[in-house]
Amino acid sequence: MGFKMRYLELKRKVKDVRMLAIQAIAEAGSGHPGASFSAAEIMGALYFHKMRHDPSRPLWDDRDYFINSKAHSAPGFYAALAVAGYIDFEEVKTLRKLGSRLQGHPVRYSELQKHHSFPGIEYSGGSEGIGLSVSIGIAIAKKSDGKRNRIYTLIGDGESNEGQIWEAAMSAPKFRLNNLVTILDRNKIQQDGFTEEIMPLDPVRDKWMAFNWNVFEVDGHKIEQLIDALNRVERLEDKPSIIIANTVKGNGIKHMANNPQWHGRAPPRKHTPILLEELQSEVMIAPSIIAGERENYEEKVRKAERGGADLIHLDVMDGKFVPNTTFFANKIRDLRKITSLPFDAHLMIEEPLKHIQDYIEARCDIITIHAEVCNEAEFLDINENLLKAGISPGVAINPDTKFPSWLYKHLDRIDVVIIMSVNPGFAGQKFIPDSLDKMAEISKELKKHNYHGYIEADGGIDATNLQQVFDAGARIMVAGNAVYGSADINSNIIQLRHKANVALERKLLEIATIKDIRNDWMKTRKHILIPLANELGIEEELHAIK
Amino acid sequence: MQLSSERKLADMRSAYGDALIELGLNDQNVVCVGADTTDSLKTKKFGDKFPTRLYNVGIAEANLVSIAAGLSIAGKVVFASTYAAFLPGRCLDQIRNTICYPFLNVKLVVSHAGLTVGPDGASHQQIEDISIMRTIPNMRVLVPCDAITVKHLIPLIAKTPGPFYMRLARPSSNLVYDEHVNSFEIGKASILRDGSDATIIACGLMVTEALKAAEILQRDYSLCCRVIDMYSIKPIDAQIIYQAAIETGLIITIEEHNIIGGLGSAVTEVASESYPVLVKRMGVSDIFGESARDEEIEELLDKYGLTSNHIVEVVLETRRKTKK
Repeated sequence: MGFKMRYLELKRKVKDVRMLAIQAIAEAGSGHPGASFSAAEIMGALYFHKMRHDPSRPLWDDRDYFINSKAHSAPGFYAALAVAGYIDFEEVKTLRKLGSRLQGHPVRYSELQKHHSFPGIEYSGGSEGIGLSVSIGIAIAKKSDGKRNRIYTLIGDGESNEGQIWEAAMSAPKFRLNNLVTILDRNKIQQDGFTEEIMPLDPVRDKWMAFNWNVFEVDGHKIEQLIDALNRVERLEDKPSIIIANTVKGNGIKHMANNPQWHGRAPPRKHTPILLEELQSEVMIAPSIIAGERENYEEKVRKAERGGADLIHLDVMDGKFVPNTTFFANKIRDLRKITSLPFDAHLMIEEPLKHIQDYIEARCDIITIHAEVCNEAEFLDINENLLKAGISPGVAINPDTKFPSWLYKHLDRIDVVIIMSVNPGFAGQKFIPDSLDKMAEISKELKKHNYHGYIEADGGIDATNLQQVFDAGARIMVAGNAVYGSADINSNIIQLRHKANVALERKLLEIATIKDIRNDWMKTRKHILIPLANELGIEEELHAIK
Repeated sequence: MQLSSERKLADMRSAYGDALIELGLNDQNVVCVGADTTDSLKTKKFGDKFPTRLYNVGIAEANLVSIAAGLSIAGKVVFASTYAAFLPGRCLDQIRNTICYPFLNVKLVVSHAGLTVGPDGASHQQIEDISIMRTIPNMRVLVPCDAITVKHLIPLIAKTPGPFYMRLARPSSNLVYDEHVNSFEIGKASILRDGSDATIIACGLMVTEALKAAEILQRDYSLCCRVIDMYSIKPIDAQIIYQAAIETGLIITIEEHNIIGGLGSAVTEVASESYPVLVKRMGVSDIFGESARDEEIEELLDKYGLTSNHIVEVVLETRRKTKK
């Protein structure tokens, strides 16, 4: 995709947003987790990637504006501003408390309201349906002054019940506001229940098209799709644009997700450590396209995308570092044209320094090199290039390789560590059981060294071992034959996710037990645990819970 | 205070439109937003002069005030105008949350306030706006009595940061002030006629009625009444009210507005806390108005107790009560 900010860094920051928001809501004892979570990627894509802004100069003339019309997403919004550098992380936890600058609904900063706000908040929300009109005012002013500022507005689908949204919808095309971008957080839930029952909004796409807007539709939890759409709208002239971001309310915490009960309810504080663990444990599935039929990588990429894969894992083999040869940068460049899914390129090649530029130019999002083929100096050289290009750097180690000790000094410069669970070179090899212990040990050591990046397991990962790999600390799962080995790719991916879910629930239950709130947690989590009860061995226990 | 010597008619809306153009010539940042009433509000003239600085949003008042808010966020000095009937009532929420709370530089200038709208009837006769607007923190409320006042207040509010609500009347009216008067200040009032037997405090078109009443009271009853034009209702000139209470012992207020919450209430609040005297509020007595043809406006005002003869009666009666 070619992110300005590294893809995995973006993922991590969005994770931070959710973690901060849920802590703030739990501390406050009230707030809206649902909307904060459905909009987390949207705010992340804007604040950490797309918008021109500068926390050290919040009133910079050339800044882009973010108008948060659905202001009840305040906890997520404040968290995003904290991660972006406008306020300290700690201050987010003062949300909704007496004397805090973080009001229940954000307030535009002004000299008069400096105790209710901080520089960087452009708009006072709280009453729904107004922000888009305000954005139109800003957009008219900037356009007529010949300025290049862009105005991004977040609106909600419940909020779209308000008539004023449609007054605004009608007026923006009149003023040809191509500097105005609206993002609809389409989570389909409002305070009283599901939007299509309370006040149907569909066909929402047709509505906006009829109002003469450019309309885009994306998965609002896929940062790469959001960024792709945000880039596209910039090239359009004469019309305002709306990006319909299909989202899940409460996304990130399974018992809150798509559940109207969590629109505006705070979790009990005692749940916080478990919720934080859940947010940290998001698993990404990365199908490796060299598995299965050798031909037609394009088709495999498309199938993975349709099946809901998170990344495309690209095994580049040069026939020298490994005995086999697969494909090189030119192939990646071709594949780049057909998908917005992030590319996780795994270079199993000799002399990576010599070739790295080709892979940067092929617009990979993650580029991993092998520890076996570079020393510290070469690593740093390559690393510098990747960081400069906004690409997530990774390091891979083979089953027989020890984690190089010099790498501990540079952990803040890598986003992913791939721990091979087969000897690389061919698809379809058997998982080496010993690699589990090694992975667990390295995970522990990395954590000790304050590593914030991902651990990726690569080699023979399937439904039989995914849970153990999860327990050993991996959160990116490369899956070859487990995805492409049989015809139904969608259900293969679903099966892998299911295994990841079981592993997660087991882990969360363990924490609940340690914290002495197992019963309470199971009660809260009941509807998630019921379908997994058998695999978790908690059928009777769950049955006993009222 | 120099009052207009001749009876000269002028309308406040044209004065507003002209003042806007004058402002626009001096300041590129002045813009105007309308809601399908730019012809009536005389802001169209501003648009003719500065085609890229008048934005007509159609019949969409909520959008009108919110777009105005956005323009001010982007650094503009914004005048947003339509009929009084549709702004404070329909857009209270937007005015409160989006403009007043963040103290945005938006000037809401509305016309057709009060009963003198005439033929359109009660739906268009705004008699609650002063009350509604003055209860919002950060909002300032101005009610000029003639075209001269409008001419001078418009540049004043343009250069004073923050939100204003200014209420104009539809009909042409007598000029109260001499053209050369320029002593208007936000938070101040004018003593148009001095006296010590009673004080009549008025705003808007009722200032003329108050002056007429004072004339009659002098001529027929030898009573010397002080007449105050309270064009700035919020902030209000507390000192002038306090002085009136001490020096005249009786205050009568008159406004083309419901007697609840408007000028009368504002004056009462000050008097009762600084120097309690009898304050008699005159205005629309908490009822809805009705249609009247333009030539019947005088009769309409009379029917609702808003003419000089009613003021005379009230002054005489309240003096009898206080002298007991």
